[in-house]
Amino acid sequence: MSTLLIAAAVGIALGILFQKGRFCFVHAFRDLFAFKDTRVTKGVIAATGLTMFFWSVAYALGYYQGFWTPGWGLTGLIGGFIFGIGMTYAGGCASGTLYRAGQGYLHFWLVLVSMGVGYAVFTVAFPTLQSLYFDPLTFGTGFTLFDSTPLPAPVVAVLFIAGFLAVYATVLGREGKGREKTKTPDAASVALAPSATVSGLRSLYDGTVEYLRGFTEIDDLRSAAKRPWDPRTAALGITVVAVVWFTQVSIVGVTGPESRWTAYLLQTVGIDSGSYEYWGSVLFAGDGVSITVDMVMIGFVIVGAFLAAFWSGDFRLRVPKRERLPNAVGGGFLMGVGSRLAPGCNIGNIYSGIAELSVHSFIAAAGIIAGVYVMTHWLYRDVGCAI
Amino acid sequence: MSTPEWEDVVEMPDELDDGTAEALAEEADEFQNMKGEMCPYPQVEAKKALSSLDHGDLLVQETDHVPSTENVPKAVEDEADAKVWRSGDGLYRIFLHKR
Repeated sequence: MSTLLIAAAVGIALGILFQKGRFCFVHAFRDLFAFKDTRVTKGVIAATGLTMFFWSVAYALGYYQGFWTPGWGLTGLIGGFIFGIGMTYAGGCASGTLYRAGQGYLHFWLVLVSMGVGYAVFTVAFPTLQSLYFDPLTFGTGFTLFDSTPLPAPVVAVLFIAGFLAVYATVLGREGKGREKTKTPDAASVALAPSATVSGLRSLYDGTVEYLRGFTEIDDLRSAAKRPWDPRTAALGITVVAVVWFTQVSIVGVTGPESRWTAYLLQTVGIDSGSYEYWGSVLFAGDGVSITVDMVMIGFVIVGAFLAAFWSGDFRLRVPKRERLPNAVGGGFLMGVGSRLAPGCNIGNIYSGIAELSVHSFIAAAGIIAGVYVMTHWLYRDVGCAI
Repeated sequence: MSTPEWEDVVEMPDELDDGTAEALAEEADEFQNMKGEMCPYPQVEAKKALSSLDHGDLLVQETDHVPSTENVPKAVEDEADAKVWRSGDGLYRIFLHKR
């Protein structure tokens, strides 16, 4: 019973944070490629890095329930790519679809149904895919870098985050320098300028200070809370919630529980979904098709997003344009199938998977981002992309 | 024309009150109904429309998609100045003045 209460609270909190922070991974990567908008990308990076650190501490202290580490191989790249194509075409990732369903978008309810069709088709094809796809393309058993070195997990996490920040700062610094060069072509100042990494770290530091100063400038907390939040603020909240979930239940996933919902709903209309190998023995692990705690959590994400949207004045029953139906149906179907072929969605692989340093998830994340890149270029074919 | 920068601090566009938004909507040189649309179509349509408008012209998008109020202005930030009106019940108007 208490686990169910935690599931409800975690789900509602995540729904509120996803909605207020517009925590959509399509937004995070599509807009980065299309016009170098990093607003949501920074939120995703902040949430992943912070979660990685606090999960590593919880793991080292023994306060955790388990990791999610599927076998690694090309399946992550292929399934991730299909999922990335699908979510960019649909206009929302797994978390974006959930929070917008709560916000009143009929489009994203249709995406959810289409994802359900994708899960079902995959499940029927699973025995064939097992021998033709998973067996040949999975190269090794999954593992997390947290326990594959003699170093304590928090040290591994800090090293990883430091390495990432160094690369990120170097890219930032190079961009900044490129900008200065085009403005003032002064050889002496370029020679005297600090290295790209140092100037990048400085601008990263300035950006963080500026972000924190933003909080002191809020004069009316209530109206500020009603406006959309900086995704980094949502990232802080998501980290807290994810740590609670990690210590009590598991890592945060979306499409696994959704696939279980599909099996459960089909069973309520008289289909013996438990007799299919993928649902019966893999997802429900032989325990029978019933409502599990992560399914409850995912359901309450929609409730939380509804509450946040309603309170903020952003709830509205939105009817999609007819020409967007292929996006919902086709995109949703590819998301359902892709997330099973990988396995895992953007939350399971980019957010949770990288935060738990699962080797499979690095491969799947690369596949998802490649899918977003290709689809973004197709959608922007008339006006062109920045990257 | 400058290219978009990687690390620009992205400010939210200024918000308009009901009266100003109503009056400004009358001056629109082009009006795009984006209700029921998904990203990134409003961004793409705004870019296309702005390229055929003249300096100082006003493009107005009416939308019910919340993310558009941020990423449409961001997508065309080199071509247009943006202001946003929020109805309070999930309908928004984006005002884009071509520079």
